Amino acid sequence: MTEEKLVSLNPKDLVSAFLRSFFLQAAWNFERYLSYGVAFAMMPVLKKVYPSPEERAQALSRHLEYFNTHPYMASFVLGAIIRMEEEKQQLPPAQRKQKEEEIGALKVGMMGPVAAMGDNLFWATIRPYCGLLAVTLVLSNVFQVEGQYWIIPLLFLIVYNVAHVGIRLTGFIQGYQKSDQVVLTLRKYGFQNAIQGLKFASVILLGVLIVFVNLSVLEKEMGLFVLKLAFFTAIVGLFTFALHRKISPSQMFYAVILFALMLAFWPDLSVPPPQVNPIVSSQPAAAAGNPVEMKPIKGNL
Amino acid sequence: MSHWVFISALLAFLSLDTTAVGQFMVSRPIVVGPLVGWLLGHPNIGLEMGALIEMIWIGDLPVGAHLPLDLTMLSGVSVALACELAGNPFPRDAVTTYALAVTIPLAVLSTEVTILVNKFNVRWVHLAQRMALGGRFRTFDGINWLVVAELFVKGFLVAAACLTLAHFTSGLLNLSATVLNGRVMEGLYYAHWLLLALGCSAIIDLLVEKKNLFYLILSIAAIMSLAIFGQMKGVYLVCVALCVGFSAVLLFAGKEETND
Repeated sequence: MTEEKLVSLNPKDLVSAFLRSFFLQAAWNFERYLSYGVAFAMMPVLKKVYPSPEERAQALSRHLEYFNTHPYMASFVLGAIIRMEEEKQQLPPAQRKQKEEEIGALKVGMMGPVAAMGDNLFWATIRPYCGLLAVTLVLSNVFQVEGQYWIIPLLFLIVYNVAHVGIRLTGFIQGYQKSDQVVLTLRKYGFQNAIQGLKFASVILLGVLIVFVNLSVLEKEMGLFVLKLAFFTAIVGLFTFALHRKISPSQMFYAVILFALMLAFWPDLSVPPPQVNPIVSSQPAAAAGNPVEMKPIKGNL
Repeated sequence: MSHWVFISALLAFLSLDTTAVGQFMVSRPIVVGPLVGWLLGHPNIGLEMGALIEMIWIGDLPVGAHLPLDLTMLSGVSVALACELAGNPFPRDAVTTYALAVTIPLAVLSTEVTILVNKFNVRWVHLAQRMALGGRFRTFDGINWLVVAELFVKGFLVAAACLTLAHFTSGLLNLSATVLNGRVMEGLYYAHWLLLALGCSAIIDLLVEKKNLFYLILSIAAIMSLAIFGQMKGVYLVCVALCVGFSAVLLFAGKEETND
């Protein structure tokens, strides 16, 4: 039996590791991706678990090996490997090597599936949903009363970060509690169902956005509104097809400008835009279906 | 001059959030746009441009080793340019479209600089490994703060360069408006509406699957009916959509997991 003093981690070490995990991607690079971030986050834990500098150096070196996953979902892996390092230190020396290999295998085995889940959940669903909500609120002119411009960005940050920090914290705690069994607990959260539900919610919100973009002509003439909406839908369909063919948004941006400029220079098609005073707010009021308001805004630079 | 330095420092600080620190999304256009606009006295321009950029580049995701376009620089610099041009006698939509068109190449440049820095970061990891094996744990820890400082300096220099370059293009708008007899302004003005369509397309491309297409059409028809026949205000329409969406999330969350 080993004569080393067995140590267990206290909440302070875990809180420190969790807070450090927000720097997971600081030294992100094309060779080892998040490896330094993981080692940096584990530093307070390794300091406690390995009082001997030699052992700590070896442990840090192990965690500096290639590791790449989703930064938020990495907390599941991080919690689990912290627990496994703690468990390893409590094993007899003969069994420690095997535990080291298990830690490495868990990291390699989990990083792919967890990254795919995180990319799909956060980058492709929650963030776009929050962005869509904010954009819809901007175009619906709900909060754009003078002096209340900060509400929409703030709402975006609150809604997004409740999910972000919530899942990071849950992942870290679950990872630490379940150790190498954490992979089984990931399934019970039903992320796939949440993604389906949020995508459906996005579709409903998108309907509001599309109507708002065209609502400016509603009060003038009903027929014109329907015509504009139909034309808009056709254009959106065309653009969606182009984006689906992997044409980048930046390329599409310039193609749109080029097309609009060509229309403007075409002799008989051009209709001059309304003479708008530069210090007039046009889009939000128009998008909300109100007549364009003459709203002075604060001075220039 | 001092406000450009301040905006550069702010953009550098916010761009740390993109990958290095936290990723709380304070670097997203919908946050950066209004913030820069508010600092320069035009929060509404910032908010609208932020929303437009958020829409168009919503599908540019940081998956794997792919680095998306630097939207923090794009939104910050384009809003600063649009605020500078706000005093000119041109339609605001034309000015914002022009500012975006000028700033996209600068954002591409910023992304390229980020790629270079990420390549350089390998050296930090090698240094960290040497420090760890040498038992110099304080230095190992310090490398994290050095990298963060390096990224801040990179962000500051890039933002300052982009703002300067964007500033020099402001005269181009006046020139094109004068020489080309206002036609450019017309084009840019109408491009703005098409860009909103492009934004909607980007959202559809990312979020709408084939099986949900029917619900999108149903949603447009229902919202249109509520707006036209129900004379419902925008705020209530958003509330209705949010309630339906929230119910859908609850409904889906209650289902048994069938896939994976």
